[in-house]
Amino acid sequence: MAPEMTTNLVLTAPEHRVGADLDAWLSGSGGLGLRLALETPSGLISLMEAAGLRGLGGAGFPTFRKWAAAAAEPDPEKVVVCNGNEDEPGTFKDVFLLRETPHQVIEGALIAGLAIRARRVVLYVNPHARGAFDAVAKAVAQWQEHPLLAAVGAAVGGPLRLEAMRSPGLYIGGEETAVVSAVEGGFPFPRRKPPFPAASGVGGHPTVINNVETLATVSHIVRHGAAWYRGLGRNGAAGTKLFSLSGDVQRPGLYELPMGTPLSELIFVHGGGMLLGKEFKAVFTGGPSNTLLTRDELDVPMDFESVRARGSRLGTGAMIVVSEGTSIVRKVAEYVNFFAAGSCGQCPPCKTGSYQLAHLLQRIDTGLATRADLDAVEHLCDLLPGSGRCGLIDGAVTVVASSLQRFRSEYEGQLAGG
Amino acid sequence: MVNLTIDGRPASVPEGTTIVLAAATAGIALTTNVGCMGQGVCGACRALVRRTGEPEVRTALACETPVEDGMQVSFLDRVAPRRPHAYSETDLVDGWTAYERVLAVFPEAVRCRHCSGCDRACPKGLEVQKGVNLAASGDIAGAAAVFDLCVMCNLCVAACPEHIAPNHLGLFARRLAAAGTQRPADLIRRLHEITSGAMTIDADACTDKQP
Amino acid sequence: MNPTEIPAAGIPWSEAIAALDGGSAPPPAITDAQPLLRHWHPDHSAGGPRRLAVGASAGQDCPAALADLLQADALIDDIDIAGCATVSTEVLVIGGGGAGCIAALTAAEAGAKVLLTTKLGLGDSNTVMAEGGIQCAVGAEDSLQTHFEDTLRGGQMAGDRALVAALVGDGPASVRWLIERGMTFDMEEGQGPSGRLRRKRAGGTRVPRILSFRDVTGLEMMRVLREAAGLHPRITVWNRSPVVELLSDETGGCVGAVIYSLHLHRFVLIRARSVVMATGGAGRLHLNGFPTSNHLGATADGLVLAYRMGARLREPDSFQYHPTGIAWPPALRGQLISEAARSLGATLVNGHGHRFVDELSPRDVVAAAILRECGEGRGVLRDGCVGVLLDTPALERARPGILKTTLVTLCHLAHKAGIDPAREPVPVYPTLHYQNGGIAIGTDGGTEVPGLYCAGEVSGGIHGRNRLMGNALLELVGFGRRAGAAAAAFQPVRPSGRANLGHVQEWRRALVAAGLPLDVKAPVLFPPIAGFDLAADRALGRSDLSARSLEAALQVL
Repeated sequence: MAPEMTTNLVLTAPEHRVGADLDAWLSGSGGLGLRLALETPSGLISLMEAAGLRGLGGAGFPTFRKWAAAAAEPDPEKVVVCNGNEDEPGTFKDVFLLRETPHQVIEGALIAGLAIRARRVVLYVNPHARGAFDAVAKAVAQWQEHPLLAAVGAAVGGPLRLEAMRSPGLYIGGEETAVVSAVEGGFPFPRRKPPFPAASGVGGHPTVINNVETLATVSHIVRHGAAWYRGLGRNGAAGTKLFSLSGDVQRPGLYELPMGTPLSELIFVHGGGMLLGKEFKAVFTGGPSNTLLTRDELDVPMDFESVRARGSRLGTGAMIVVSEGTSIVRKVAEYVNFFAAGSCGQCPPCKTGSYQLAHLLQRIDTGLATRADLDAVEHLCDLLPGSGRCGLIDGAVTVVASSLQRFRSEYEGQLAGG
Repeated sequence: MVNLTIDGRPASVPEGTTIVLAAATAGIALTTNVGCMGQGVCGACRALVRRTGEPEVRTALACETPVEDGMQVSFLDRVAPRRPHAYSETDLVDGWTAYERVLAVFPEAVRCRHCSGCDRACPKGLEVQKGVNLAASGDIAGAAAVFDLCVMCNLCVAACPEHIAPNHLGLFARRLAAAGTQRPADLIRRLHEITSGAMTIDADACTDKQP
Repeated sequence: MNPTEIPAAGIPWSEAIAALDGGSAPPPAITDAQPLLRHWHPDHSAGGPRRLAVGASAGQDCPAALADLLQADALIDDIDIAGCATVSTEVLVIGGGGAGCIAALTAAEAGAKVLLTTKLGLGDSNTVMAEGGIQCAVGAEDSLQTHFEDTLRGGQMAGDRALVAALVGDGPASVRWLIERGMTFDMEEGQGPSGRLRRKRAGGTRVPRILSFRDVTGLEMMRVLREAAGLHPRITVWNRSPVVELLSDETGGCVGAVIYSLHLHRFVLIRARSVVMATGGAGRLHLNGFPTSNHLGATADGLVLAYRMGARLREPDSFQYHPTGIAWPPALRGQLISEAARSLGATLVNGHGHRFVDELSPRDVVAAAILRECGEGRGVLRDGCVGVLLDTPALERARPGILKTTLVTLCHLAHKAGIDPAREPVPVYPTLHYQNGGIAIGTDGGTEVPGLYCAGEVSGGIHGRNRLMGNALLELVGFGRRAGAAAAAFQPVRPSGRANLGHVQEWRRALVAAGLPLDVKAPVLFPPIAGFDLAADRALGRSDLSARSLEAALQVL
């Protein structure tokens, strides 16, 4: 690995990886960001705006907007939830941060609490992510007696409750409004928006829900400034991004790279190229619900805008690489099955429609489907979007529709008599 | 004429036509997901329907749903329960253990997450979730009554995220209630008359003349 | 009389409604129904019946459209089944309606390994559509003998006395069998589950004898049977697998069948020790141009195949036209309005507001009377659809609330038609409903072909020339059990003989000798409206499916 590639490590730098040990965290550079934030809490939101920090859990929504919306509410019982539900196939960045650097995440969450004057900060962690919840719970326990937490409490006008809670561990439990339902103690049913959580979230209180990676970045921005953060990226993008690389590559794993790094560099330089020298075929990006990237997109800089310009989305930064020889239909069928199983049940078209898609895809995959079945698949892609309270069914359709658009001949070749 | 799209095929049919008949004119082979052709009782023609100007997509039985202009329809295959909730006739007869049987055969029933997906999915408008909850709390007769007019289309099977198979649970409750409690006195007396030889048939006795 | 020949003359809807006074005088009594039936019943339609020239029932008449199929060539040749997948079972049941499920359950309970194949899905059948109920002589004033005589007379004395006695004698035990499997029956008002069963009166009977569950008796029965068959460990179910031919051994016995898998787009051979044919009726052939109340699958497939193999037919010319199919709107024409409506007191009136027949006469008489009214210009016309009126508003006035509580299915159908039955009468016209005759059977359901049994509507001899309401469900339970038990017990003379299309070759020789065309193929599998083309569908079959994936696929049929 070339040395310049290791120089920009921010979140995954070896010195941050101290686990749940708070003293070890604070003996390094840890805590400096929070102390600075305590001095000028009113400047935090504009700082995030200047830095260009965006939601790194997938949506890419400007972080300062959520904070500003919640900060503007008069309700004194505001809430910050750190969303660590991460359950998308091929995504394993948040589990790393929570297990290896829980204090980095907590510090960011506390800064967010300062920014909006929250009285409650919840670390919402997927219990299936190995080691993550234990590390977070231990880390949170160490903060309880620490004067820094009391100082934050004083700054927000009352004691601040910091707590770790297990998420339901379901895919749907990561959706913003589902997080609200779960933190309230119920099943993670998504809700219709508006109202947005920043106006009315947990228990009706204004709630900021940020992804683990987003919050982990916050203390560094406070410490080093907006210009520094912007300078980390390439191609005009800000910051770094964690990429979960998996599939048919030589060296799968977690890579922290400048935002805007080209896809080909991730796969062929950091990832060591395709496994067994096979031909690259496609990437299922950013969790399961985005448009496929194909050979034509290998040069795409991996940042929110550039990927969107190619008709897809960066999402969680998961890149599942498949080689020639992989059946796109079967792969897509697996994804749709994942969605069908993950659909919460509230909206029948989402649940039954995704099952029907999965059923039709399975029929195509096994060589038993006819042209009429393929027509039925395309019609469902037309009919289903927007039929659910949350975006789950839309995501399922995106995968199917984009794979059909880019690999139509593969579908047609699988048809009976075709 | 009314124009609509069914499984990707355009159809143009007179007003008042049902979706199933429209599908036939659109060149869709009616060899599956079809049956009673209008009575709405065999439950085979499950469909997702989106009407013009409605964001919602609803479930329906295609043989009893009239077409509307701009309608989009996708047929849904029958979704079998993830696993069979198996029991035998001997499980049906003992009313004292009926509740235990329900819990043993349908352990998922107590995990209802009250999402109401089954209620929304039911094309017959049954209170499916209530039926599930009644069965799970031991009110077998109450649950049975909820599913009186269930046509076993299995849309609630597909809709239920906890794999409860609500209609099959409802049917189990119905079967328990009938087999365990129904003992008609007149039927029992007639069976006794037959087995004791007191009532027989004289097959030669009948003539064309009305008595 | 062919309905297409009925002059489109009649009384306009608005006039007929105005003439409806609800206090209509009693209908004229009919002392001898034969002239009415001969002149107006479609079984006697001029130029209709054709005499069968080949087969075990050569010389008998039947409707021309059915005769064409009965005397058709097979769909397949030896070459079509060369190298195709073969599975073995002990008892093969063909048909997934009430009779098929009961035969399968009975055979399985007797210890046999059963494979049940069905064209559509398990339970998608005429059984599930039955509304009225099931006859069973449980009343104190009733007896097996009375039921026996009613049935025989209702069938114009044409039924087989031994079969009718078996049907009637099985009744109470059949109902008990159904209750034991979890079917619910309505009890008399105010009675608990150990009280008396609620009874309705059927047309052509002397005492109330119809047991029912609301007006969805077939649904209640079928969902119980479907579940029981589906859950039985010794029963395997193949959906979407219409039978295309039977298999014979060197003695002419039935040793299995060839099915076409709509899922795999290919034929599959099934070897069996014995076969139960339970494929139902023929309504979707729309005989004599009539609408039908039947399920999409009712295309006489089993009748055709059993006849080709040598089974004899009974009353193949006799069909039941249910008097009260809905006549309007066109999209719903032929859908059934249960006899329960008349049983509860609803009257039939013509365009002048007059009753014209005792509504609880046997169905053939009522249907013929309606056709007479329409044929002689006293029918009611609405958008070109002719019919007479079922006076539901008068029923509702006489028994307030009865429509909503007891005639749920009627209300549901009326709602779909845009009619409020409490305020408007429902236009009705006879609809092709049931095959009265069928394959001749003995009291064990056995045919003249060794190893081939029949149960349900496909069989004949029980209902004579006219079936009474409630005797179809009774038959499929009693004879489903008889056929299932006999099929499970059947031991072929030469258990490991050949299984091929030998009988088809014999059949072709007979067709050629009789000078019949060989370009008509049967069974039809699906009516034209289904748009199914076997040749085109077969072309979709992939030759590269491995034996293993085929086997795996067969499991999920």
